[in-house]
Amino acid sequence: MSDELEELPLLETLDHLLDRGVIIAGEAVISIGDVDLLYLGLNVVLANVDAIIRTSKR
Amino acid sequence: MKSVVIGAHLLRDDVEPLATAIPVGDLYLSALEVPDDQPLGDRELLLKVAGVRARLLEVATFVAIRYGLSLASPDEALGKCAAHLTRWKKVLTAHREHVEMTLKVAAATAMLRPDRHDFTSGADYLRALHAAQQASNVDPGFREAAERLFAPFSVKKRWEHRDERSVELAALVERARLDEVKAAGEELRATSPAVPFLLSGPWPLEVFADADRE
Repeated sequence: MSDELEELPLLETLDHLLDRGVIIAGEAVISIGDVDLLYLGLNVVLANVDAIIRTSKR
Repeated sequence: MKSVVIGAHLLRDDVEPLATAIPVGDLYLSALEVPDDQPLGDRELLLKVAGVRARLLEVATFVAIRYGLSLASPDEALGKCAAHLTRWKKVLTAHREHVEMTLKVAAATAMLRPDRHDFTSGADYLRALHAAQQASNVDPGFREAAERLFAPFSVKKRWEHRDERSVELAALVERARLDEVKAAGEELRATSPAVPFLLSGPWPLEVFADADRE
């Protein structure tokens, strides 16, 4: 439990880094409504947004 | 080398010496220089960017740019950011003394995530996923209490559906009153022990820098 609590700030930080902020032209995010579903980065990053976040949380 | 962009700032001094300052119009982008062959998905790079992002926020509030933007040369910056500069300057000037706080609340009516194998059409699956996210909600009493928490400190607030299990209240609060916001969060935890939530921040301008959502 204590490990989980210690990891929380890091997980939250990475969540904000990967899933918040302004998206700049040159990247593409395919969305339905307000939900980002696919993220295409400039450097051949092609992944489901949820998958990126899940990976970052491991 | 390539530049991994972190945010947009009002002043060069808001960026240096923590990161590289790239002029873009009247503003400056903060960036980390990394080798061309370093993948953006590299764990160490992610952690380094997260650390610099936090330290930049200690200096001054900035517009957060979503991770993943990299520039092969500083000359690319203006072309990519030109459409945003007027808006960014406006929010950076207006909110220099403000930061964002996030209250992530477990949904009272959490929806099951749709199983993609139940769908023959990708579009139908995505619509079902979106519907599940939008259907998640928070107990009305807690929602009201959460809004009361931020009311004395916030200049803007907005509820957002992030996934099918949680809902978030983002608030733009006065930086000078962060301790009071955190104390109010502890009070909310004491008065609403049955509702799991996480109050986090401070964060840069993330939700409230997005012109499309204003």
